[in-house]
Amino acid sequence: MFELSTNVASPKLLQQGDYSAYDALYLGDFSCPKFPDNFTSHPELLAEAAELVKGRGQKCYLRLYAVPSNHDLGWVRELVEAAMALPFDALEVHNLGLLRMLREMGCSKPLHLGVFGNLYTDATARVVKEYGVTRVYPNPELSLKEVIYIRDHTPIEVLVPVHGKIPLVISETCFILERGRGEDNPCTFLCDEEHWLTRSEGQWSLKDTGRMTLSGSDLCMLEHVEELAAARLNAFYVQSHGETPEFAGKVGRIYRQALTAAFAGQPVGDLAPQVAELSVLARMGLCNGYYFEGAGRRYVGRV
Amino acid sequence: MVMMMAPGGTKQMARMALEEGAEAVYVGVIGWSRRGSEHELTDADIHELIDYAGERGKEVRVVVNTLPSSIEIPMFLERIEMYAGWGAKGFMISDVGCMRLVHERLPNVDIHTSVGCGITNYEDVRCLAEMGATYVVLPYRMTPDEVAQIRANSGIGIEFFLFKTPSGGKICPGKCMMSSYFSYRRWLDENGKDHFFGSASRGGDCLRVCQSNWLFNIEDASYRGMTIKSNPSLWLEELPAYLAAGVNCLKVPGRDRSDELVRDLVRFYRRVLDRIAEQDHPDLSPFREQLETFRHRWTIERGHRDRRLIGEAEREALRADRAAAQNPSATFELIR
Repeated sequence: MFELSTNVASPKLLQQGDYSAYDALYLGDFSCPKFPDNFTSHPELLAEAAELVKGRGQKCYLRLYAVPSNHDLGWVRELVEAAMALPFDALEVHNLGLLRMLREMGCSKPLHLGVFGNLYTDATARVVKEYGVTRVYPNPELSLKEVIYIRDHTPIEVLVPVHGKIPLVISETCFILERGRGEDNPCTFLCDEEHWLTRSEGQWSLKDTGRMTLSGSDLCMLEHVEELAAARLNAFYVQSHGETPEFAGKVGRIYRQALTAAFAGQPVGDLAPQVAELSVLARMGLCNGYYFEGAGRRYVGRV
Repeated sequence: MVMMMAPGGTKQMARMALEEGAEAVYVGVIGWSRRGSEHELTDADIHELIDYAGERGKEVRVVVNTLPSSIEIPMFLERIEMYAGWGAKGFMISDVGCMRLVHERLPNVDIHTSVGCGITNYEDVRCLAEMGATYVVLPYRMTPDEVAQIRANSGIGIEFFLFKTPSGGKICPGKCMMSSYFSYRRWLDENGKDHFFGSASRGGDCLRVCQSNWLFNIEDASYRGMTIKSNPSLWLEELPAYLAAGVNCLKVPGRDRSDELVRDLVRFYRRVLDRIAEQDHPDLSPFREQLETFRHRWTIERGHRDRRLIGEAEREALRADRAAAQNPSATFELIR
């Protein structure tokens, strides 16, 4: 069948949300280790969370920090050591250095290459596979054709984001803090509120969460689930970083229903009401990313 | 011995840089480097430059640092073998799969990682070395201490840009898709090469949308006309510290600057490096005033470039909006 997953950054969000529509959860915010109680930087929180998720019958993956500097490697190593003793189903890595470090540590967990792993080719997928990677999140700039090519010619499992804002930029410093109070001031987690970068010419918009900038529009592939199923893609992901638990819950339920129908070979029917629901959640509208070979912010509906 | 590597955004620029004292020039291949085609060279030009440099005991290194499509890899390797056969000494590459393949086929050429590899720590460097890299280019913000730590942990060649971003703003190289999110178009040329207009990583220019006028609201305050990324600046004072930390390849930036500015920069940094080589504790203060002049010229040329590219981004976005309005299902047909 298929797997539908999303991300959860902290115990608070894990408790608040209804993630029952998902088969798997990626725990942690890979962009900011300072985010309160981030699973990515708090090894002491992992055991309880893994137990909770596994107890719900879901798979549980741990996200590692995407842009570690030399001085971060020590604490990331400690986190990995803690995770290796717990029932995580995989670790997600965005950084080649961490990939190497995990191999050196004898990590036996399956590894997933994350969105900032910069995977564009099957040649690279073959290289990271040698380091223990079993699933890749191809760079968002790739078309669906290219994603499928990588899956078939590596071969390797590919994670296909179906909904949510597209991660576009990651930084080792916080843009909200720098541009607001100044980077020397203590972080008061302003990223808890929504921050938008907008440009009146061309009506351009981006969402900023401090260390990561995302697309303004929400990627939405709901109207294309039948094509995704026909292409034998089977690992789908709802990107909910910077969103509320309600967002993840509602989006998950909509996709679960549509994907279940598509994979059972049943007609998904008129999805207009669901697309309308998703549009309400998308302040800057919907898009299809780069899947159909155009600029990321356009939306192509079903024809 | 530190190698000064200068840009060859045009054939003339490359020649002038070699004459002014660069040990090597780096040149982009049309469609295969992270710049617009006006700053890339034809195969005939590259061949001619390799011969020209070789006659003077100097080198040409070829920039093929786009992240290609999987199906373009055979074409990529064919080109690399051709340039190496002509005498190119090294290649700048982003895709680690391609890096591995080049290393397997041509173990004696230098492989420079591109900024697109987005290195952040010494484990990255060790991993890239395992994949065949012989030089790594480090990000603009790394301190001499961080460079020394990387050098001590890897033993690989260290390449460093002669411009730096002191702090602030987003990481750009290798970790940014902002440009293509707004303006992006693909087409195949007569050789079957896929062109990715608007994508910094995949080829063609980054359209510098981060340098446009953005509005950002933080805690009831509105910041108007702000840019998203800080720009790097030419630097000088810490040069002895970076060389002591293990930098052995200094990269003069500016493939998309004027021939004259690059010529003058190479001449300037040649004098600086010679001064450092001559003295244990070189006094670089006499160079400060001239550096300021170069920074000014650099900023002016960058402004012209950014305005041109942002204009292209706007025009392309408008063109695509109109096309989509006329035929909303056109792009969808591509996967059917």
